[in-house]
Amino acid sequence: MSTILEIKNLGKKFGKEPILRDINLALKKQEVLSLLGSSGSGKTTLLKIIAGLDTQNEGHIFLNGKNIDNEKPQKRNIVYLYQEALLFPHLNAFENIAFGLRLKKETISAIREKVNKMLENLDMSKHAKKMPNQLSGGQRQRISFGRAMVIKPELLLLDEPFGALDAITRTKMQELFKQMAELMQLSALFVTHDLKEAIVMGSQIGKIQKGKLVQYKSKRHFFEDEFSGVKQEMDFWAQIHSNDR
Amino acid sequence: MKKLLQILFVLSIVFPVVFLLLLSLGRRWAYPNILPAEINFENWEFLQKSDSKLFQAFFISLGISLCVSILVTVIGFFVSKTIAFNKFRNVYLILAYVPYLLSPVIMAVIFQYYFIITGLTGTFLGVIIAQFLIAFPFGIIIYLNFWNTKLKSIEELSLTLGGSRWQTFKYVLLPLSKNAIALCFFQVFLISWFEYGLTNLIGTGKIRTLTVSVFNFVIEANIYYAALACCLLVLPPMILLYINKSLMFFVEKSKTLS
Repeated sequence: MSTILEIKNLGKKFGKEPILRDINLALKKQEVLSLLGSSGSGKTTLLKIIAGLDTQNEGHIFLNGKNIDNEKPQKRNIVYLYQEALLFPHLNAFENIAFGLRLKKETISAIREKVNKMLENLDMSKHAKKMPNQLSGGQRQRISFGRAMVIKPELLLLDEPFGALDAITRTKMQELFKQMAELMQLSALFVTHDLKEAIVMGSQIGKIQKGKLVQYKSKRHFFEDEFSGVKQEMDFWAQIHSNDR
Repeated sequence: MKKLLQILFVLSIVFPVVFLLLLSLGRRWAYPNILPAEINFENWEFLQKSDSKLFQAFFISLGISLCVSILVTVIGFFVSKTIAFNKFRNVYLILAYVPYLLSPVIMAVIFQYYFIITGLTGTFLGVIIAQFLIAFPFGIIIYLNFWNTKLKSIEELSLTLGGSRWQTFKYVLLPLSKNAIALCFFQVFLISWFEYGLTNLIGTGKIRTLTVSVFNFVIEANIYYAALACCLLVLPPMILLYINKSLMFFVEKSKTLS
Protein backbone atom coordinates (compact mmCIF):
# COMPACT_ATOMS: atom_id res chain seq x y z
CA MET A 1 0.00 0.00 0.00
CA SER A 2 1.39 3.44 -0.92
CA THR A 3 2.09 6.20 1.59
CA ILE A 4 -0.55 8.91 1.80
CA LEU A 5 1.03 11.18 4.40
CA GLU A 6 4.69 11.77 5.02
CA ILE A 7 6.17 14.26 7.45
CA LYS A 8 9.87 15.03 7.39
CA ASN A 9 11.85 16.79 10.13
CA LEU A 10 8.95 18.99 11.19
CA GLY A 11 9.48 21.50 13.98
CA LYS A 12 7.32 24.15 15.61
CA LYS A 13 8.09 26.83 18.19
CA PHE A 14 5.80 29.18 20.09
CA GLY A 15 8.07 32.13 20.70
CA LYS A 16 11.31 30.54 21.78
CA GLU A 17 9.70 27.43 23.23
CA PRO A 18 9.85 24.36 20.99
CA ILE A 19 6.50 22.55 20.81
CA LEU A 20 7.37 19.96 18.16
CA ARG A 21 10.89 18.75 17.42
CA ASP A 22 12.13 16.78 14.42
CA ILE A 23 8.83 15.01 13.74
CA ASN A 24 8.97 12.21 11.19
CA LEU A 25 5.89 10.23 10.32
CA ALA A 26 4.55 8.04 7.53
CA LEU A 27 0.97 6.87 7.08
CA LYS A 28 -0.10 4.31 4.50
CA LYS A 29 -3.35 4.60 2.54
CA GLN A 30 -6.47 3.22 4.21
CA GLU A 31 -4.71 2.87 7.53
CA VAL A 32 -5.43 4.53 10.86
CA LEU A 33 -2.50 5.75 12.92
CA SER A 34 -3.29 6.24 16.59
CA LEU A 35 -1.26 9.02 18.16
CA LEU A 36 -0.95 8.79 21.91
CA GLY A 37 -0.05 11.81 23.93
CA SER A 38 -0.80 13.61 27.13
CA SER A 39 -2.11 17.19 27.39
CA GLY A 40 0.40 19.74 26.15
CA SER A 41 2.48 17.17 24.27
CA GLY A 42 1.95 19.01 20.97
CA LYS A 43 -0.43 16.55 19.29
CA THR A 44 -3.16 19.12 18.54
CA THR A 45 -0.54 21.50 17.11
CA LEU A 46 0.74 18.71 14.87
CA LEU A 47 -2.77 17.98 13.56
CA LYS A 48 -3.44 21.67 12.94
CA ILE A 49 -0.20 22.00 10.98
CA ILE A 50 -1.13 18.98 8.84
CA ALA A 51 -4.59 20.49 8.23
CA GLY A 52 -3.03 23.84 7.24
CA LEU A 53 -4.57 25.71 10.16
CA ASP A 54 -1.13 26.42 11.63
CA THR A 55 2.34 26.62 10.10
CA GLN A 56 5.53 24.80 10.96
CA ASN A 57 8.85 26.55 11.50
CA GLU A 58 10.79 23.79 9.81
CA GLY A 59 10.28 20.52 7.93
CA HIS A 60 7.93 19.43 5.17
CA ILE A 61 4.58 17.69 4.74
CA PHE A 62 3.77 15.51 1.74
CA LEU A 63 0.31 14.28 0.80
CA ASN A 64 0.35 11.55 -1.85
CA GLY A 65 3.95 12.53 -2.52
CA LYS A 66 3.08 16.20 -3.15
CA ASN A 67 4.52 18.91 -0.92
CA ILE A 68 1.59 20.73 0.70
CA ASP A 69 3.56 23.13 2.94
CA ASN A 70 2.09 26.20 1.24
CA GLU A 71 -1.32 24.76 0.36
CA LYS A 72 -4.35 26.50 1.90
CA PRO A 73 -6.50 24.36 4.24
CA GLN A 74 -9.45 24.38 1.82
CA LYS A 75 -7.24 23.00 -0.95
CA ARG A 76 -5.66 20.16 1.05
CA ASN A 77 -8.69 17.86 1.19
CA ILE A 78 -7.80 17.05 4.78
CA VAL A 79 -10.59 17.32 7.33
CA TYR A 80 -9.78 18.12 10.94
CA LEU A 81 -12.30 16.97 13.54
CA TYR A 82 -12.31 18.48 17.01
CA GLN A 83 -13.09 16.85 20.34
CA GLU A 84 -16.40 18.70 20.24
CA ALA A 85 -18.69 17.80 17.32
CA LEU A 86 -18.94 21.50 16.31
CA LEU A 87 -22.03 21.13 14.18
CA PHE A 88 -23.17 24.32 12.51
CA PRO A 89 -25.87 25.43 14.96
CA HIS A 90 -28.01 27.13 12.27
CA LEU A 91 -28.26 23.99 10.10
CA ASN A 92 -30.14 20.76 10.75
CA ALA A 93 -28.48 17.33 10.69
CA PHE A 94 -29.12 16.83 6.96
CA GLU A 95 -27.75 20.26 6.04
CA ASN A 96 -24.71 19.80 8.29
CA ILE A 97 -23.75 16.66 6.37
CA ALA A 98 -24.58 18.33 3.05
CA PHE A 99 -22.40 21.37 3.88
CA GLY A 100 -19.17 20.24 2.15
CA LEU A 101 -21.07 18.94 -0.88
CA ARG A 102 -22.89 22.25 -1.28
CA LEU A 103 -19.55 24.09 -1.15
CA LYS A 104 -18.39 21.88 -4.00
CA LYS A 105 -21.56 22.87 -5.88
CA GLU A 106 -22.71 19.30 -6.43
CA THR A 107 -26.18 18.83 -7.92
CA ILE A 108 -29.21 18.76 -5.62
CA SER A 109 -30.04 15.16 -6.50
CA ALA A 110 -26.44 14.01 -5.90
CA ILE A 111 -26.39 15.81 -2.55
CA ARG A 112 -29.71 14.27 -1.49
CA GLU A 113 -28.56 10.79 -2.50
CA LYS A 114 -25.15 11.01 -0.78
CA VAL A 115 -26.46 12.58 2.42
CA ASN A 116 -29.32 10.11 2.76
CA LYS A 117 -26.91 7.23 2.23
CA MET A 118 -24.58 8.66 4.85
CA LEU A 119 -27.45 9.16 7.32
CA GLU A 120 -28.44 5.54 6.74
CA ASN A 121 -24.88 4.31 7.35
CA LEU A 122 -24.75 6.33 10.54
CA ASP A 123 -28.21 5.06 11.60
CA MET A 124 -29.34 8.69 11.82
CA SER A 125 -32.02 8.83 9.08
CA LYS A 126 -34.85 9.57 11.49
CA HIS A 127 -32.91 12.52 12.97
CA ALA A 128 -32.23 14.22 9.61
CA LYS A 129 -34.48 17.21 10.29
CA LYS A 130 -33.32 17.80 13.86
CA MET A 131 -31.24 20.82 14.84
CA PRO A 132 -27.91 20.22 16.64
CA ASN A 133 -29.36 21.29 20.01
CA GLN A 134 -31.95 18.52 19.71
CA LEU A 135 -29.31 15.79 19.35
CA SER A 136 -27.38 13.91 22.03
CA GLY A 137 -23.57 14.11 22.27
CA GLY A 138 -23.12 10.80 20.47
CA GLN A 139 -25.60 11.71 17.73
CA ARG A 140 -23.85 15.04 17.18
CA GLN A 141 -20.53 13.24 16.84
CA ARG A 142 -22.07 10.83 14.28
CA ILE A 143 -23.29 13.75 12.20
CA SER A 144 -19.87 15.36 12.52
CA PHE A 145 -18.26 12.16 11.13
CA GLY A 146 -20.81 12.02 8.36
CA ARG A 147 -20.15 15.64 7.43
CA ALA A 148 -16.42 14.90 7.13
CA MET A 149 -16.67 11.52 5.39
CA VAL A 150 -19.30 12.45 2.81
CA ILE A 151 -16.79 14.66 0.95
CA LYS A 152 -14.34 11.74 0.81
CA PRO A 153 -11.26 13.50 2.19
CA GLU A 154 -7.80 12.18 1.43
CA LEU A 155 -7.06 12.21 5.12
CA LEU A 156 -9.08 12.53 8.29
CA LEU A 157 -7.53 14.06 11.40
CA LEU A 158 -9.35 13.25 14.62
CA ASP A 159 -8.40 15.15 17.75
CA GLU A 160 -9.70 13.12 20.70
CA PRO A 161 -13.15 12.90 19.07
CA PHE A 162 -14.66 10.73 21.82
CA GLY A 163 -13.09 12.55 24.75
CA ALA A 164 -16.35 14.25 25.78
CA LEU A 165 -18.53 11.12 25.54
CA ASP A 166 -19.57 8.70 28.30
CA ALA A 167 -18.01 5.20 28.36
CA ILE A 168 -20.89 3.35 26.63
CA THR A 169 -21.37 5.92 23.86
CA ARG A 170 -17.61 6.05 23.44
CA THR A 171 -17.40 2.28 22.81
CA LYS A 172 -20.29 2.48 20.32
CA MET A 173 -18.64 5.37 18.51
CA GLN A 174 -15.32 3.50 18.33
CA GLU A 175 -17.10 0.57 16.67
CA LEU A 176 -18.96 2.87 14.31
CA PHE A 177 -15.78 4.68 13.32
CA LYS A 178 -13.98 1.41 12.61
CA GLN A 179 -16.88 0.23 10.43
CA MET A 180 -17.06 3.51 8.57
CA ALA A 181 -13.27 3.72 8.12
CA GLU A 182 -13.36 0.29 6.48
CA LEU A 183 -16.45 1.06 4.41
CA MET A 184 -15.14 4.42 3.18
CA GLN A 185 -11.52 3.18 2.93
CA LEU A 186 -10.35 6.04 5.11
CA SER A 187 -6.85 7.08 5.99
CA ALA A 188 -6.78 8.76 9.37
CA LEU A 189 -4.66 10.11 12.19
CA PHE A 190 -6.45 9.43 15.45
CA VAL A 191 -5.20 11.39 18.44
CA THR A 192 -6.07 10.16 21.93
CA HIS A 193 -4.63 10.11 25.42
CA ASP A 194 -6.39 6.80 26.15
CA LEU A 195 -4.08 3.80 25.79
CA LYS A 196 -6.88 1.29 25.18
CA GLU A 197 -8.55 3.51 22.60
CA ALA A 198 -5.25 3.95 20.76
CA ILE A 199 -4.82 0.18 20.53
CA VAL A 200 -8.45 -0.43 19.48
CA MET A 201 -8.63 2.30 16.85
CA GLY A 202 -5.22 2.25 15.17
CA SER A 203 -3.68 -0.19 12.76
CA GLN A 204 -0.44 1.61 13.63
CA ILE A 205 0.54 3.40 16.82
CA GLY A 206 2.68 6.42 17.53
CA LYS A 207 3.49 8.25 20.71
CA ILE A 208 4.15 11.93 21.09
CA GLN A 209 5.86 13.16 24.21
CA LYS A 210 7.34 16.58 24.94
CA GLY A 211 7.24 17.42 21.24
CA LYS A 212 9.04 14.27 20.06
CA LEU A 213 7.23 11.55 18.12
CA VAL A 214 7.94 7.84 18.10
CA GLN A 215 6.16 5.78 15.44
CA TYR A 216 6.20 2.07 16.21
CA LYS A 217 6.85 -0.42 13.41
CA SER A 218 3.99 -2.62 14.61
CA LYS A 219 1.63 -2.97 17.56
CA ARG A 220 3.93 -5.68 18.92
CA HIS A 221 6.81 -3.19 19.04
CA PHE A 222 4.51 -0.82 20.92
CA PHE A 223 3.50 -3.49 23.46
CA GLU A 224 7.14 -4.42 24.04
CA ASP A 225 8.33 -0.85 24.55
CA GLU A 226 8.72 -0.34 28.30
CA PHE A 227 7.88 3.37 27.92
CA SER A 228 4.64 2.80 25.99
CA GLY A 229 2.66 2.35 29.21
CA VAL A 230 1.23 -1.04 28.13
CA LYS A 231 3.33 -3.05 30.56
CA GLN A 232 2.37 -0.80 33.49
CA GLU A 233 -1.31 -1.13 32.53
CA MET A 234 -1.08 -4.91 32.36
CA ASP A 235 0.76 -5.05 35.69
CA PHE A 236 -1.98 -2.90 37.24
CA TRP A 237 -4.78 -5.24 36.14
CA ALA A 238 -2.74 -8.35 37.08
CA GLN A 239 -2.29 -6.84 40.56
CA ILE A 240 -6.05 -6.17 40.85
CA HIS A 241 -6.77 -9.70 39.66
CA SER A 242 -4.38 -11.31 42.15
CA ASN A 243 -5.78 -9.19 45.01
CA ASP A 244 -9.28 -10.44 44.21
CA ARG A 245 -8.28 -14.09 44.63
CA MET B 1 -45.87 43.52 46.13
CA LYS B 2 -44.49 41.74 43.06
CA LYS B 3 -47.47 42.94 41.01
CA LEU B 4 -47.04 46.50 42.29
CA LEU B 5 -43.36 46.51 41.29
CA GLN B 6 -44.30 45.27 37.81
CA ILE B 7 -46.93 48.02 37.46
CA LEU B 8 -44.42 50.62 38.63
CA PHE B 9 -41.89 49.36 36.11
CA VAL B 10 -44.40 49.54 33.22
CA LEU B 11 -45.53 53.00 34.36
CA SER B 12 -41.95 54.28 34.49
CA ILE B 13 -41.57 53.34 30.81
CA VAL B 14 -45.05 54.25 29.50
CA PHE B 15 -45.75 57.45 31.47
CA PRO B 16 -42.96 59.62 29.97
CA VAL B 17 -43.98 58.59 26.44
CA VAL B 18 -47.68 59.31 27.04
CA PHE B 19 -46.80 62.57 28.79
CA LEU B 20 -44.61 63.58 25.86
CA LEU B 21 -47.43 62.84 23.40
CA LEU B 22 -49.93 64.78 25.51
CA LEU B 23 -47.54 67.71 25.78
CA SER B 24 -47.04 67.75 22.00
CA LEU B 25 -50.84 67.83 21.49
CA GLY B 26 -51.54 70.32 24.27
CA ARG B 27 -51.90 74.10 24.33
CA ARG B 28 -52.37 76.52 27.20
CA TRP B 29 -51.38 74.09 29.93
CA ALA B 30 -51.04 76.31 32.95
CA TYR B 31 -50.31 75.35 36.52
CA PRO B 32 -52.15 73.85 38.46
CA ASN B 33 -54.30 72.22 35.70
CA ILE B 34 -53.84 68.46 35.45
CA LEU B 35 -54.56 68.46 31.71
CA PRO B 36 -53.97 71.14 29.07
CA ALA B 37 -56.83 73.52 28.30
CA GLU B 38 -56.76 72.48 24.62
CA ILE B 39 -55.77 69.18 22.98
CA ASN B 40 -55.46 69.31 19.20
CA PHE B 41 -53.03 68.82 16.34
CA GLU B 42 -52.15 72.47 16.01
CA ASN B 43 -48.56 71.91 17.23
CA TRP B 44 -48.15 69.03 14.80
CA GLU B 45 -49.18 71.31 11.93
CA PHE B 46 -45.93 73.13 12.68
CA LEU B 47 -44.17 70.22 10.98
CA GLN B 48 -45.71 71.23 7.65
CA LYS B 49 -44.59 74.83 7.90
CA SER B 50 -41.61 75.62 5.68
CA ASP B 51 -39.75 77.52 8.40
CA SER B 52 -40.06 74.70 10.98
CA LYS B 53 -37.23 72.62 9.45
CA LEU B 54 -38.16 69.81 11.80
CA PHE B 55 -38.68 67.31 9.01
CA GLN B 56 -35.36 68.39 7.55
CA ALA B 57 -33.71 67.84 10.95
CA PHE B 58 -35.39 64.45 11.18
CA PHE B 59 -33.96 63.30 7.86
CA ILE B 60 -30.51 64.76 8.59
CA SER B 61 -30.49 62.81 11.88
CA LEU B 62 -31.68 59.68 10.13
CA GLY B 63 -29.02 60.04 7.42
CA ILE B 64 -26.21 60.60 9.92
CA SER B 65 -27.31 57.76 12.23
CA LEU B 66 -27.78 55.27 9.39
CA CYS B 67 -24.37 56.11 7.89
CA VAL B 68 -22.61 55.86 11.27
CA SER B 69 -24.32 52.64 12.32
CA ILE B 70 -23.78 50.91 8.96
CA LEU B 71 -20.11 51.94 8.88
CA VAL B 72 -19.47 50.86 12.48
CA THR B 73 -21.39 47.59 12.06
CA VAL B 74 -19.52 46.56 8.90
CA ILE B 75 -16.00 47.78 9.73
CA GLY B 76 -16.33 46.80 13.41
CA PHE B 77 -17.22 43.23 12.44
CA PHE B 78 -13.91 42.61 10.67
CA VAL B 79 -11.68 44.73 12.92
CA SER B 80 -13.09 43.15 16.10
CA LYS B 81 -12.38 39.69 14.71
CA THR B 82 -8.72 40.58 14.21
CA ILE B 83 -8.52 42.08 17.70
CA ALA B 84 -10.37 39.18 19.38
CA PHE B 85 -7.72 36.64 18.38
CA ASN B 86 -4.77 38.96 18.86
CA LYS B 87 -2.46 38.42 21.84
CA PHE B 88 -2.94 42.10 22.83
CA ARG B 89 -6.74 41.73 22.89
CA ASN B 90 -7.07 43.13 26.43
CA VAL B 91 -4.95 46.18 25.63
CA TYR B 92 -7.19 46.99 22.65
CA LEU B 93 -10.27 46.44 24.81
CA ILE B 94 -9.03 48.95 27.41
CA LEU B 95 -8.27 51.44 24.60
CA ALA B 96 -11.82 50.98 23.28
CA TYR B 97 -13.20 52.26 26.59
CA VAL B 98 -11.10 55.47 26.49
CA PRO B 99 -13.62 57.60 24.50
CA TYR B 100 -16.27 56.79 27.12
CA LEU B 101 -13.97 57.48 30.06
CA LEU B 102 -13.15 60.87 28.56
CA SER B 103 -16.77 61.47 27.42
CA PRO B 104 -17.69 62.22 23.77
CA VAL B 105 -17.75 66.00 24.28
CA ILE B 106 -14.15 66.09 25.48
CA MET B 107 -13.21 63.88 22.54
CA ALA B 108 -14.99 66.40 20.28
CA VAL B 109 -12.92 69.23 21.75
CA ILE B 110 -9.78 67.18 21.02
CA PHE B 111 -10.94 66.45 17.45
CA GLN B 112 -12.14 70.00 16.76
CA TYR B 113 -8.74 71.43 15.86
CA TYR B 114 -8.14 68.75 13.23
CA PHE B 115 -11.68 69.13 11.90
CA ILE B 116 -11.19 72.89 11.54
CA ILE B 117 -7.93 72.59 9.59
CA THR B 118 -9.42 69.92 7.33
CA GLY B 119 -12.53 72.02 6.77
CA LEU B 120 -14.82 69.35 8.16
CA THR B 121 -16.52 71.42 10.86
CA GLY B 122 -20.11 72.36 10.09
CA THR B 123 -20.41 69.64 7.43
CA PHE B 124 -22.55 66.52 7.19
CA LEU B 125 -19.43 64.41 6.52
CA GLY B 126 -17.61 65.98 9.47
CA VAL B 127 -20.40 65.01 11.89
CA ILE B 128 -20.48 61.46 10.48
CA ILE B 129 -16.71 61.09 10.90
CA ALA B 130 -16.79 62.53 14.44
CA GLN B 131 -19.66 60.26 15.50
CA PHE B 132 -17.95 57.29 13.85
CA LEU B 133 -14.79 57.93 15.90
CA ILE B 134 -16.87 57.82 19.08
CA ALA B 135 -19.14 54.91 18.16
CA PHE B 136 -16.52 52.67 16.53
CA PRO B 137 -14.81 51.61 19.81
CA PHE B 138 -18.27 50.86 21.20
CA GLY B 139 -18.96 48.58 18.22
CA ILE B 140 -15.66 46.80 18.93
CA ILE B 141 -16.68 46.26 22.58
CA ILE B 142 -20.02 44.74 21.48
CA TYR B 143 -18.44 42.42 18.92
CA LEU B 144 -15.56 41.30 21.18
CA ASN B 145 -18.01 39.37 23.36
CA PHE B 146 -19.20 37.54 20.27
CA TRP B 147 -15.88 36.19 18.98
CA ASN B 148 -14.72 33.13 20.90
CA THR B 149 -12.55 30.05 20.37
CA LYS B 150 -15.55 27.87 19.52
CA LEU B 151 -16.53 30.17 16.68
CA LYS B 152 -12.93 30.20 15.48
CA SER B 153 -12.91 26.39 15.49
CA ILE B 154 -16.19 26.32 13.51
CA GLU B 155 -14.65 28.72 11.00
CA GLU B 156 -11.52 26.53 10.70
CA LEU B 157 -13.69 23.45 10.30
CA SER B 158 -15.51 25.08 7.39
CA LEU B 159 -12.13 25.77 5.76
CA THR B 160 -10.98 22.16 6.10
CA LEU B 161 -14.33 21.03 4.64
CA GLY B 162 -13.34 22.91 1.50
CA GLY B 163 -14.92 26.31 2.09
CA SER B 164 -13.16 29.39 0.76
CA ARG B 165 -12.87 32.49 2.98
CA TRP B 166 -15.89 34.02 1.23
CA GLN B 167 -18.00 30.83 1.48
CA THR B 168 -17.11 30.49 5.16
CA PHE B 169 -18.13 34.09 5.76
CA LYS B 170 -21.37 33.78 3.80
CA TYR B 171 -22.57 30.38 4.97
CA VAL B 172 -21.12 30.17 8.48
CA LEU B 173 -20.01 33.44 10.06
CA LEU B 174 -22.80 35.65 8.74
CA PRO B 175 -25.73 33.41 9.82
CA LEU B 176 -24.12 32.85 13.22
CA SER B 177 -23.45 36.53 13.80
CA LYS B 178 -26.91 37.86 12.86
CA ASN B 179 -27.80 38.68 16.46
CA ALA B 180 -24.46 40.37 17.17
CA ILE B 181 -24.74 42.42 13.97
CA ALA B 182 -28.33 43.47 14.83
CA LEU B 183 -27.27 44.36 18.38
CA CYS B 184 -24.30 46.44 17.19
CA PHE B 185 -26.38 48.27 14.57
CA PHE B 186 -29.15 49.01 17.08
CA GLN B 187 -26.85 50.23 19.85
CA VAL B 188 -24.70 52.38 17.55
CA PHE B 189 -27.81 53.85 15.94
CA LEU B 190 -29.04 54.89 19.39
CA ILE B 191 -25.68 56.44 20.33
CA SER B 192 -25.63 58.42 17.11
CA TRP B 193 -29.34 59.33 17.19
CA PHE B 194 -29.23 60.85 20.67
CA GLU B 195 -25.76 62.40 20.35
CA TYR B 196 -25.87 66.13 21.16
CA GLY B 197 -22.64 67.64 22.53
CA LEU B 198 -20.26 66.31 19.90
CA THR B 199 -22.73 66.95 17.04
CA ASN B 200 -23.30 70.52 18.18
CA LEU B 201 -19.57 71.21 18.52
CA ILE B 202 -18.44 69.66 15.22
CA GLY B 203 -21.65 70.68 13.40
CA THR B 204 -21.16 74.29 14.67
CA GLY B 205 -24.93 74.79 14.55
CA LYS B 206 -24.99 74.33 10.77
CA ILE B 207 -25.91 70.65 11.04
CA ARG B 208 -29.26 70.77 12.82
CA THR B 209 -30.07 67.25 13.92
CA LEU B 210 -33.29 66.45 15.75
CA THR B 211 -31.51 66.27 19.12
CA VAL B 212 -29.98 69.69 18.51
CA SER B 213 -33.47 71.01 17.59
CA VAL B 214 -34.95 69.64 20.82
CA PHE B 215 -32.32 71.47 22.87
CA ASN B 216 -32.94 74.66 20.90
CA PHE B 217 -36.69 74.47 21.68
CA VAL B 218 -35.91 73.80 25.32
CA ILE B 219 -33.57 76.80 25.42
CA GLU B 220 -36.35 78.88 23.82
CA ALA B 221 -38.69 77.56 26.59
CA ASN B 222 -41.04 76.24 23.88
CA ILE B 223 -42.05 73.04 25.64
CA TYR B 224 -44.82 72.13 23.18
CA TYR B 225 -42.52 72.19 20.15
CA ALA B 226 -39.79 70.51 22.23
CA ALA B 227 -42.27 67.72 23.03
CA LEU B 228 -43.22 67.51 19.36
CA ALA B 229 -39.55 67.17 18.37
CA CYS B 230 -39.11 64.58 21.13
CA CYS B 231 -41.99 62.54 19.68
CA LEU B 232 -40.16 62.48 16.35
CA LEU B 233 -36.96 61.69 18.23
CA VAL B 234 -38.30 58.56 19.96
CA LEU B 235 -40.07 57.22 16.85
CA PRO B 236 -37.11 55.59 14.99
CA PRO B 237 -35.64 53.95 18.15
CA MET B 238 -39.07 52.51 18.91
CA ILE B 239 -39.42 51.14 15.37
CA LEU B 240 -35.89 49.72 15.63
CA LEU B 241 -36.68 48.17 19.00
CA TYR B 242 -39.76 46.54 17.51
CA ILE B 243 -37.82 45.20 14.50
CA ASN B 244 -35.02 43.99 16.75
CA LYS B 245 -37.44 42.26 19.09
CA SER B 246 -39.35 40.66 16.20
CA LEU B 247 -36.09 39.48 14.66
CA MET B 248 -34.87 37.92 17.93
CA PHE B 249 -38.30 36.41 18.54
CA PHE B 250 -38.36 35.00 15.02
CA VAL B 251 -34.89 33.44 15.48
CA GLU B 252 -35.91 31.87 18.81
CA LYS B 253 -39.21 30.63 17.37
CA SER B 254 -37.62 29.05 14.30
CA LYS B 255 -35.05 27.33 16.53
CA THR B 256 -37.82 25.82 18.63
CA LEU B 257 -39.97 24.76 15.68
CA SER B 258 -37.29 23.07 13.63
